[in-house]
This record gives sequence, structure tokens and C-alpha cells, in this order.
Amino acid sequence: MRLEKCWFCSSTVYPGHGIQFVRNDAKIFRFCRSKCHKNFKMKRNPRKVKWTKAYRRVHGKDMTKDSTFEFERKRNRPERYDRNVKEDVLKAIPKIAKIRAIREETHHKKMKQGKHEKLRREAEKELKQGINMVKAPSVFQQDPSYTLPAIKVKVSQQKSVENHPMEE
Amino acid sequence: MGGKCPHRHVKKRRYSHKTARRTKFLNMGDDLVYAQLNKPDEERIPLPVDEDLPGMGQYYCLHCDRYFSNVAVRDEHFKSKRHKKRAKQMMGPAPHTQLDADLAAGMGMPDNGPKLMSM
Repeated sequence: MRLEKCWFCSSTVYPGHGIQFVRNDAKIFRFCRSKCHKNFKMKRNPRKVKWTKAYRRVHGKDMTKDSTFEFERKRNRPERYDRNVKEDVLKAIPKIAKIRAIREETHHKKMKQGKHEKLRREAEKELKQGINMVKAPSVFQQDPSYTLPAIKVKVSQQKSVENHPMEE
Repeated sequence: MGGKCPHRHVKKRRYSHKTARRTKFLNMGDDLVYAQLNKPDEERIPLPVDEDLPGMGQYYCLHCDRYFSNVAVRDEHFKSKRHKKRAKQMMGPAPHTQLDADLAAGMGMPDNGPKLMSM
């Protein structure tokens, strides 16, 4: 039994669910539900529809490269049945799922952090470049109080060690 | 259902749009057009003479999968906004496929096993 993926939203299509469309060049399009089928009939591009996995992948919302992606594959060859292997696989599945969930979570966290930092940097840059819209450049030349003073900081300085007694 | 109803006020709603909906899928799919366009010129199929098609099937636009009655009409089509939009779309990344859907779902590349015959 094969669990195929939906052409439009990439979710798993379980037996007895969804619909499949076979084009006259024998190409198969599987859909998990009528929502995906209708979107296909409207000729929408899954990469431009925000709720699909394809969109999330293209726009860096989800993990794209990970070692946990190597397990689930379409295998076009017969696999010899082995009881021991089967047991190992059944044990490994929940473990791998757990690892993947953790990695996905960290990815989402990282993504959000990066966005915050980026927005702040962009805002700072815009303020620096567009300050002339607020105040004319001639004003700055006349009155230096509008610009931030250049701060000089000495990096390392040896202070004479004096032990003052603590004051109350 | 549908059909003619010339008494309706809104002009758009007077006639059924069923044919438009059906003919949408008579055209070649995006992926087929993209595959045809990316072939070298020699491999493309020469246009056969067909009585049933407009202009004996000689004036064809591959991007839009349309036949025209003569050169002038076809060239007019090449200038149109619709064609330009379509051409631009076909210049972009390859259309979505089942493989893309599988990869986006977190699957690896398909495993076809070792090659049995060496070419």
C-alpha cells in the first residue's frame, strides 16, 4: 500500500480519500480533498498559494534540507521482507518524528529571530538615509546639536588601583 | 441550467459560461508547454497540415497553444498582453510537478535502486 502525496498541498492521501485526475497523456494528479481539486481546476499555482507546503518551502518558512528527509522515499523496487528490519523500522519511526519536530521548532524560532533583527537594521538604515526629510541638511551644519555626537571610547585603560573605603 | 437568457439585465450573466470552463482544459498544460519550449528546435514537431484547424494548422503559438488563420493575426497575437504575460511565465521557473509536491512534503528523492544495465 502506498500513501501518496497530494499534488496541490503535499499532504498525505490515505486510501479511500480524495480524487485523482488522469490527463490524456497518462499523467496522474492526486488530490487529498475537494479544496485541492478545485484549486487545481482554477489553474492556481501551488507555489503562490500560501497554505500549501510548496509555498512554505519556496519562501523559507519550513526546513528544506535535513537528514530526516532521507527516510521517507518513493522506492521503485521490491524490498525483501525481513522481520528484524521491520521491527527496527517500527521502533525508529517515532524517534525520527520526534527529532524532526524538535528541529522544525528550532528552525521556526531562528527564522523569527532573524526577521526581528533584519527589520530593526532596515529601520535604522532608513532613518539614517531619510533624516533629510525631517530636517534640512543646512540645519545640521548650523546646529550640531541635532546630530549625535561622536563618542570616543578608550578600549583598554589601566587605572591606578585605589581602594576607597565603602561609603554608607 | 445555463443556456441563453437574453432578458437578464447584466450582460455578463445572459449566457452560460460552461463552454469556457470546459475548453480551459483542452489547451496543453503548463508543464507540457514548458517541456516543449525547452526542447531544441530540431526536436519540435513540424506543423502538419490539418483541414479542421484555423489556417490549416500552420500558424501556431506554442506558448498559448493556439492556432491562427494567417500570419497577420498571429503576429497581432504576439503583440498582445495575454501572450506576453504567458511568455514571461514560461521563461520563469519550471511548473509545479508531483516531484515538487513530494519534496515539499518532506520526502527524499525517489529511490530506483541500482542500475541493472550499464549503458
